[in-house]
Order: sequence, then structure tokens, then C-alpha cells
Amino acid sequence: MNPQEMKPQREVWYRSKTFKRFRRNPLAIVGSLFLLVFVLVALFAPAITAPQLAELRTARPCLRDLGIKKEEALTALRNPLNPVFWKATLAPPPSCYEIPRDGYSPLPKPPSEKHPLGVSGGSYDILYGLTWGSRTAFYVGFLVVGISLAIGIVVGGLSGSIGGTVDNLIMRITDVMLSFPRLIFVMIVVVIFGNGLTQVMLALAVVGWAGYARFFRGDILRTKTQEFVDAARALGASPLRIFLKHVFPNAIGTLLILASMDVGSIVLTAAGLSFLGLGAPVGYADWGQMISFARGYILGTAQGTPFDFWYVWIYPSLMLVLFGLAWNLLGDAVRDALDPKS
Amino acid sequence: MTTFIARRLLQLPIVLLAISLLIFGMMQALSPEQRAAAYAKNEQQAKNLDVIIRQYNLDQGFFTQYTTWLKQALRGNLGYSKQSHEPVLDTIRKKLPVSAELALYMFFPTLLFGVWMGTMAAIHRDRFVDQVVRVFAIIGWSLPTFVLAIWMLAVFYGYFKLFGIGRADDRIMVEFAKGTLKAYTGMITIDGILNGRWDVTFSALKRLVMPVATYTIVASAQIMRVLRSSMLDVLNSDYVRTARAKGLPERVVNLKHARRNAIIPVVTIAGLMFAFMLEGVFFIEIIFNIPGLGQWSVPAAINLDFPAVIGIALLTGLVVSIANLAVDILYGIIDPRISFQ
Repeated sequence: MNPQEMKPQREVWYRSKTFKRFRRNPLAIVGSLFLLVFVLVALFAPAITAPQLAELRTARPCLRDLGIKKEEALTALRNPLNPVFWKATLAPPPSCYEIPRDGYSPLPKPPSEKHPLGVSGGSYDILYGLTWGSRTAFYVGFLVVGISLAIGIVVGGLSGSIGGTVDNLIMRITDVMLSFPRLIFVMIVVVIFGNGLTQVMLALAVVGWAGYARFFRGDILRTKTQEFVDAARALGASPLRIFLKHVFPNAIGTLLILASMDVGSIVLTAAGLSFLGLGAPVGYADWGQMISFARGYILGTAQGTPFDFWYVWIYPSLMLVLFGLAWNLLGDAVRDALDPKS
Repeated sequence: MTTFIARRLLQLPIVLLAISLLIFGMMQALSPEQRAAAYAKNEQQAKNLDVIIRQYNLDQGFFTQYTTWLKQALRGNLGYSKQSHEPVLDTIRKKLPVSAELALYMFFPTLLFGVWMGTMAAIHRDRFVDQVVRVFAIIGWSLPTFVLAIWMLAVFYGYFKLFGIGRADDRIMVEFAKGTLKAYTGMITIDGILNGRWDVTFSALKRLVMPVATYTIVASAQIMRVLRSSMLDVLNSDYVRTARAKGLPERVVNLKHARRNAIIPVVTIAGLMFAFMLEGVFFIEIIFNIPGLGQWSVPAAINLDFPAVIGIALLTGLVVSIANLAVDILYGIIDPRISFQ
């Protein structure tokens, strides 16, 4: 007999029952489509905002760092054959994240041909802020979740595999971390290390690991009691080998999936913080910071209604809510697929 | 039961000590001069930081510094806030009742609404009610507090002009400032009753409508989710089937047999919610212009007024540990099995 035929058929993820359950959930499809749109907007932000980059004088630093003149900006940024297109899409210089302004007037202006979504107070272009803001959102979300996850896996792994007093001690620390409000922690970090997006992201990452550590510890303890681990031990495998080869790979899957679904809620939290002024400086392409422009125009319009300046706050807040909704629809479907009982 | 509570009470000082050590450890990133400036009350003292550094042992080793700092903190000397131009403890004393009042009015509607929705969704599983509740939950989860608050502000304050912002009418706040109305507790709704002035209480309650509604919509979703899934588990259990087989009315089975046992995870979430409510309170204070702890301490953080933030952090540590303790004890009361572990 051909030995190849004796090999058990390898289970691939797209044929698994879990994925099938996920695929059949209409909400999952809606969430995925929404997210796809956000990914495309974020990816092609330079091409979408090429007219603003070409026309507004305050966009010059970005063009200079990209190494193009304003006359060629429109064609270069929308032409995939031009290397500048790829530079702007894949590795834009930090100066491009500054929202270009059209003058310094404190009054917002409604949508026009030059500014398809209008300009907010301080004459910041709203379309530019929203498209580049989606890049900031993905960047913040993935970086924060990635760092917390790394810490959580190390701490939870140690806690679950060593056990005893170490486990007990680590779990008490996790308890405190879990119930300490993130906002307060971010405030402490800002007051000590200064205000800025980097500090806020690090603070969120440091405060977020506790949930992952506890979840991973639980999964490790569950996996440890399975028969294949006993079998490996009976065959004489060393504890380290058992952990790395048998326990770890089997325990990590669910954690990775569930953690990736937290990107949405991290982005909402970070947006809230930058709404308060904790995070990116004024004028940085960031949704929460753009919404903070709005409050003044809702409270301070003695003449007329707050809806006179609707474009200042409706667009960014809608963007943020739809982003959160997309992730939550996806996350809900994933949790349902992983645990068909609930 | 008594030993269980006693054991948990004894853990409280240890947790508090750990939190204070953590906060103090982070403060080590600041220079001794910066930390000394926290204790300076005026320009004169700020010029002679050396004196303060020696007075508070800031030139000594870590442990001496920590014990001196802790002793001062326990005596109520948390430093001087640039933001409010007074000692941190005085500001906290003034602003705590404002935030506490808001938090209390936010907590119970959120809890009750969440429990009610969760029960309805579980009983009518996969039917219309369930779908509506689940959609509501996903929307509530995707709406950050500050976004909904901004929308509420635009619609009900800006457009319809239904509700005001702040704590009460300006007229009433002036009366409090002049002293014709006495601030017994610092909570306006209660002070109004104590002064025998129902119009004061009513005015304050009216201004609480928007904040409370905002928070209830955002936060009850989480409680609903937890209760729904734990109640579904219980509804599938043997003793619920037995209760049904006995011929008990559906209402009794659902509420007495199922929900009582399904409520335990909700207690955990409610305890956590108490901690996270602090965040909600801060956002709501800033957006609805309520002069509580958040409206003072968030700008303080941005202006690098660190005694104020450290004061708030210690207060938070205290509130969170007490909330955790309360949850533990409540567990023991709801489910006697736990206290015998």
C-alpha cells in the first residue's frame, strides 16, 4: 500500500465546523464587509486624499517628505506604476498624518468641491482626517492588542505551567489589574511620562494584558489534563517539550482569535481618550480628537442649532461607531462559532 | 460565613498596600525636585525645594521615601493641586459627592435594565424579542459613552432644548453659593429635600436624565449579555425541567428557579462595572459640564498636575478594592457553597 494514502487527512481551517458556522452567520458577513471597506480606505488613504494633498498649502511637509512637487501629486499618488504611490501607501512619512488646514478660521465650513466633507473648526479638512484616521485606528488597535497579548501569553503561560504559589501571586496581581480603570491608569502614565499617542498606547497595552493572561492560564490548565499530554508524559517527554510541543500549540488558538476581536474596543477606548485630550496632539489624523472639535459647536451656538455644523461631529462619530460595530459583529459571530452552545 | 468575611476583610489592607506601592513605584520616574514641588503651597516654598526634599526624605533610599510618602498620604497630605489651587484632599472632599451622586443614579437603572433585558432575551430565545435585544446589545457595545453623550447633547440640549447641562439651574447654584441653601451632603438631590425645597431636587433630577440615559444605553448591554448566556445554561438544567414537570407556572420557574441561579455572574460584572463606571462618570462629567472629580482630574492630567492624578489614583484603588470585597461577600450570601471552599 502506498504510505501516502495512510496519512490521515489533515484538517484545514476553511473546512472546519467552526468556520462553517461562522460563514453561515449573516451578521458575520456584514461585519467582514464593513471591515474590508475600512481596510481599503486605510490602505488607499493617500490616493483618496490626493487632491487635498495637491491643493492645500499646509500639506507641503508631507509632499516634501514623499519627494514630489504639488503639480505632480495628483497623478503620482493615483498611479500604481509610480514608486511614490507605493511609498505613500505602504510607508508614508509621519508628516502625512497631520491634517492639512485651509487657512486658520475658527469657523467650520460646509462640504464643498474642494472639501467634500467640509472643514472643521481651525479649518482642518474632514475627509483627510477621516481617511488617514482609519490608518491611525488600525495602527493603534493592532499594536496595543499585540503588546498586551505578548505580555499576557508570557504571564499566563508561566502562571498556568508553574502553578502553586507563583500562580496564586500572579492571579492576585491580575485581579487588581483587571479591575483598575484604564482611564485612571492612562492618566497616571501621561502625568509621569508626558502626553502623546505613544504613551497612551503603551499605557493601554500594559493595562490590557491581565484578561489575556487569565484566559490563557485557564486554557493551559484545561489542555494539561487532556489524554495526549498524559501520553506524551508516559513516553518520557521532558516537561519543557510537553509544554512547547503539546500544551502551548493547543491552548493558544482560541486566545489569538478572541484577542484579535478586541482591536475594535481598543480603538474605541483610544478614541475616547484622545477626545479628552489624552493622546495625539490637535491636528493629528485621529477620529476621537476630531470629535472633540464638535463639543464647542454644540454648546456654543447661540445663534442657530447645533445641526448648522453637523458635518463637524456626525462624520467622525459615525466612522468610529461603524468601525466598532464591524468588529463587534465579527467578534460576536466568532464567539458564537467557537461556542455553539451560547 | 463570619470567618469568610473576616478573611476577605484582612486581605483588603494587603491589596491597598500593593496598589500604593505600584503607584509609588511609577512615581520614581519623576525627579525628586518634581515630587517635592507637589508639596509646595506657594511661590516662596517652590523656590526652596531643597528644604522640602529634606523634610519629606526625598533624598533617602526607596523604602524610607515610600514610608514617608505613605505616612503623609494616610494623614491626608496628598500634596497641592495646581489645577484647583488648593490641597488635593480638599478638592477631593468637595468633588467626591458630585461624582458619587452621578454614579449612584447611573448604577441602578443600568443594572435593572440589563437584568430585565437579559431575562427577556433568554426566556424568548431565538424569537423576536431576543433578536431585538441582541441587536440593541451590539449597538450599545459599539457606541462609546462619549459619542452617545455628544449625540444626546446635540439632540436634546441643542435642538429640542429639553434638558439643561450642569447640576441644576444657575439660580439654584447661586443660592448654594450664597448660603441661603445649605449643602449638607453635597449631593443636590438630597440637599434639596433636606432644605425642604422640592424644586431644587426636581431641577437636579431633570438634569440627570441625559447622563443616566446615556450610560444606561451603553453599559446595560454587557449585563444583558452575561445574564442571557448564564440564564440559557440554567434553563437547560435538570432541576428546571423538574420544576416544569411539577406543573409550576412558567413565571415561577423562570424567575424563581432560573434567574436566581443565573444571577451570580451578573454580580461579578456589576462589581467590575462599578470600577469601569468611574470612566463613564468622567466622560459624562466633562461632556455634560458637571463639576465632579473627572472635570477636575482629566485636565489636571493633561496639565501635568501630578499630585491631583496620584490622589485620584489612590482614591480609585480604594474604591475598586472595596467594590471587589463587596462582590466577594455578596457571592457568599447569594451562593452559600462559595464561603465553605
